[in-house]
Amino acid sequence: MIITKPTCTIDGQKFEFTAGESMLEVARRNDIAIPTLCHDPRLDPAGACRSCLVEIEGQRRLLPSCATKATDGASFQTKSERVEKHRKTLFSLYLTDHADEDSEGGQHRGAPNKLAGASKKFGAENWGKLTNLRDEIAGDRSADVNPYIQYDSDLCILCAKCTRYCDEVEAVSAITLVGRGSETAIATPDSRSLLDTTCELCGGCVAVCPTGAMGEKKPKTRNQPIESELKKVRTTCNYCGVGCQFDFNVDPDGRDGLGEVVKVTSPDATPNQNMDLPAGFSGVSSDGNLCVKGRFGYDFVHHEERLTTPLVRGADGDLHPATWDEAFDAAIAGLEKVSAKYGDDSLAFVSSARCTIEENFLVQKVSRVAFGTNNVHQCAAT
Amino acid sequence: MTNSIREIRDADFLFVIGSNTSEAHPIIAMEMKRAVRRGATLIVADPRAIWLTTIADDHMQIKPGTDVWLLNAMAHVIINEDLTDKKFVAEHTEGFEAVRDAVQDYTPEEAEKMCGVSAELIRRTARSYATTRKAGIYYTLGITEHSHGTDNVYALANLVLLTGHLGGPSMGLNPLRGQNNVQGANDAGASPIYYPGYQRVDDTESQAKFEKLWKRDLSPDPGLNLNEMMKAAGDQIRAFFVMGEDILLSEPNVLALEERMNRVEFVVLQDIFPNETLRYADVVFPAGNFAEKEGVFVNSERRMQRVRKAVNPPGEARADWEILLELGRRASAKRNLDPSVWSHQTPAQIFREFSASAPNFAGITHERLDQPTPDGFSGLQWPCKDDQDPGTKYLHEGGVLRGKGLLTAVAYRPSMELPDKDYGLLLSTGRTLYHYNSATQTRRDEGLDAKQSEAFVQIHPRDARKRGIDEGDLVEVKTRRGVIEVAAHVSRQVRPGCIWMSLHFAEARANVLTNDVGDSVTGTAEYKVCAAEITKVNSIEFGHAGLFPGSYFHQSPRGAAADSEAGVLEEETQEN
Ligand code: SF4
Ligand code: SF4
Ligand code: FES
Repeated sequence: MIITKPTCTIDGQKFEFTAGESMLEVARRNDIAIPTLCHDPRLDPAGACRSCLVEIEGQRRLLPSCATKATDGASFQTKSERVEKHRKTLFSLYLTDHADEDSEGGQHRGAPNKLAGASKKFGAENWGKLTNLRDEIAGDRSADVNPYIQYDSDLCILCAKCTRYCDEVEAVSAITLVGRGSETAIATPDSRSLLDTTCELCGGCVAVCPTGAMGEKKPKTRNQPIESELKKVRTTCNYCGVGCQFDFNVDPDGRDGLGEVVKVTSPDATPNQNMDLPAGFSGVSSDGNLCVKGRFGYDFVHHEERLTTPLVRGADGDLHPATWDEAFDAAIAGLEKVSAKYGDDSLAFVSSARCTIEENFLVQKVSRVAFGTNNVHQCAAT
Repeated sequence: MTNSIREIRDADFLFVIGSNTSEAHPIIAMEMKRAVRRGATLIVADPRAIWLTTIADDHMQIKPGTDVWLLNAMAHVIINEDLTDKKFVAEHTEGFEAVRDAVQDYTPEEAEKMCGVSAELIRRTARSYATTRKAGIYYTLGITEHSHGTDNVYALANLVLLTGHLGGPSMGLNPLRGQNNVQGANDAGASPIYYPGYQRVDDTESQAKFEKLWKRDLSPDPGLNLNEMMKAAGDQIRAFFVMGEDILLSEPNVLALEERMNRVEFVVLQDIFPNETLRYADVVFPAGNFAEKEGVFVNSERRMQRVRKAVNPPGEARADWEILLELGRRASAKRNLDPSVWSHQTPAQIFREFSASAPNFAGITHERLDQPTPDGFSGLQWPCKDDQDPGTKYLHEGGVLRGKGLLTAVAYRPSMELPDKDYGLLLSTGRTLYHYNSATQTRRDEGLDAKQSEAFVQIHPRDARKRGIDEGDLVEVKTRRGVIEVAAHVSRQVRPGCIWMSLHFAEARANVLTNDVGDSVTGTAEYKVCAAEITKVNSIEFGHAGLFPGSYFHQSPRGAAADSEAGVLEEETQEN
């Protein structure tokens, strides 16, 4: 028996799919671009933003491809005239009800504004600013003393990605949609500070927000460059053993050219088109998620209390700044003096589970090769 | 971990024991939340009502230190109700009879008396675990930081082997590593008994191999483990080299250690911040942090992932690897050893020497780690034996690595120091979401500090009332080893008779209190159980404990034990 996979037709071309895949997933897997704002592979489809609508044969209305499952024999258009017209109107509406990227409000936000890019692409027009009715219901969010996350209602398109992430992924339900109609906004119960809610400050809301309405406070209050001027460096979190991947966003000119970490962003959760990943896989095992330590706990990197010069204890009993040469000489002389007196096994080397493989490898090598002892252990024996 | 983080979301049964996952490993907890949302059963065994218990099907609020009782009783149920995977046990394990006989006395009824977990719940959990195929066990320091930590791990492994929950996706035995590179530090050979790749120093073949690589003769005598080093400080050990660690904050029974440190003649410290150990240092090397260097970390799922340099270090500070290479080169020259073994220029070259020296890592290089890998994620999971090997998602596929899995009979041994009439409470220590170990990094961040700025000790309302302690009072916590002052947080998160503190605060060092007795195999100290007493000092203004709201008045999950909870409330109201 030959089992044939179901197929559907997109823009006239036939594609196989696996039962359960949405039309959006099938299209994206085959490099057919469809704009989305409220879609995230980690979340249940909401069909809230209407930007992914496609024209399906035999359907009178355009339907959201993120929330419509592909069916055998279905055929749909992603670039038809009707779809294009819909996109232009939709993004014009969003633009009109939304602070401009280049306006004061759009600067220094913690997140890039995907809406601005899409608007430009689909020829959306700004029909003139509407009065923002959301502020009233959202309350004065600048009064929230939490130092990390900021909500700007005039950038929000109410796609509910942030609240869905908070419910479905982080599962703390700290923020929610409040109010009705044009007065709807994202808020905490009683407009409390996030610090006084169930919020664990994971910052997932910032990461998923397509417009920068959920943004990062630190880069803004520090008046640091906007995201497009920053260099991204992919690395591994240095806190716990999950090993989440994230990007340092670096201002290369900061700290007089030494480079300055402005913020941390998580890799995009949408599948990398070139890697043929199953839907929902982001290319990092942490799935683009971060906890509060990984996302916001980076201030130690440039902290003023860092040790910046070698120190050697003098005859007066105090530690004094020294050159590297002096410090190496003093260290080796001190260790050799002890080993001459009591033997190599009177030395002990404590290595660190915080440092890299290479560094742990070197500590045991220094201990075994340069000083002849197996007395070496890392600080966390479990 | 025998399995991968991404497999957790597809599990049907999760048994989380001795792991406050949502605080210590938040992103693994997200995977667990995802599984629970899908309908998986979650059972949490923990002395405290941690956040995960709010979404768990059941919470086994076990008395600290009685894990062997609980786990043996589960094995008892699985064996006596004939729920073992007979084929797996016959083909892949040995020692079944010994375990069968050993667990006969561990009936659920007796276990209930010892652990404070109902016999019915023990039965239900054992049955459900044994009969669910995709059933994974997750544990961390709550299992290992005991004088009988190794026994605990054996008892857990027995459950896995009896039921054959091994060698497939979403099952297995999964220790969650506390620090970013615990796995990597072990893999790299920062161990008194192993060269890189778990090759024993007292194995002549390994010794010969590394003597050839490093061009000198090597000592075949196993060295001291961390716990032994700390106890031998001032006696056998007369000098320390310490990298990236504050031993005077994180080692147990620190006051005794401080006293011994006075007899240590020489200390070199290499770190990014001044810390408590600096007081004893004779030479200090300023190091670079992880944003300032290239390298590799290995996470809990054995995945090697790249660390990349984003910025330059401040002032004279240098990356640890640069310092160590220079130290090795100069020290070798002093002893007339061949300095050519220190001629690496980059972390990539150092890594290559490391990975080529161990068969399980031989296929991994920086170059490969910088490419997208076959599973689509960044990084490679070892074992990865050659440059075509895609790495290993889960261990023990089709059998058990060492030939046959050894079922090990373990007997309950009480913790070394239990409450008595002078020290009536049982103290456990742990970690919280907002800080990280000695908190040298996290307390330098405004928001983390705002969410949780002060040290606190959690005490059950009944114990607090007996001692006239109110929420926020300044109290003295005392053990046979020392005393500290800290704010009281009155909470039903802890069991009556138990108190709990975090390890993060330098001004209230919990490790002044903890017991430094170590596990006989690993040397891991008993941070989780010792006897303590609390007295009130005075009332103070207390900031944010930074715990989830449920921690103040714990409600039992899904109404279980609601009656007894109501009973307690009533009793309290009357007494008030
Ligand atoms: S804040 Fe952002 S994510 Fe949340 S509803 Fe508004 S636009 Fe969507
Ligand atoms: S982001 Fe959080 S969960 Fe992920 S590795 Fe860092 S500390 Fe661990
Ligand atoms: S992405 Fe489909 S409706 Fe928003």
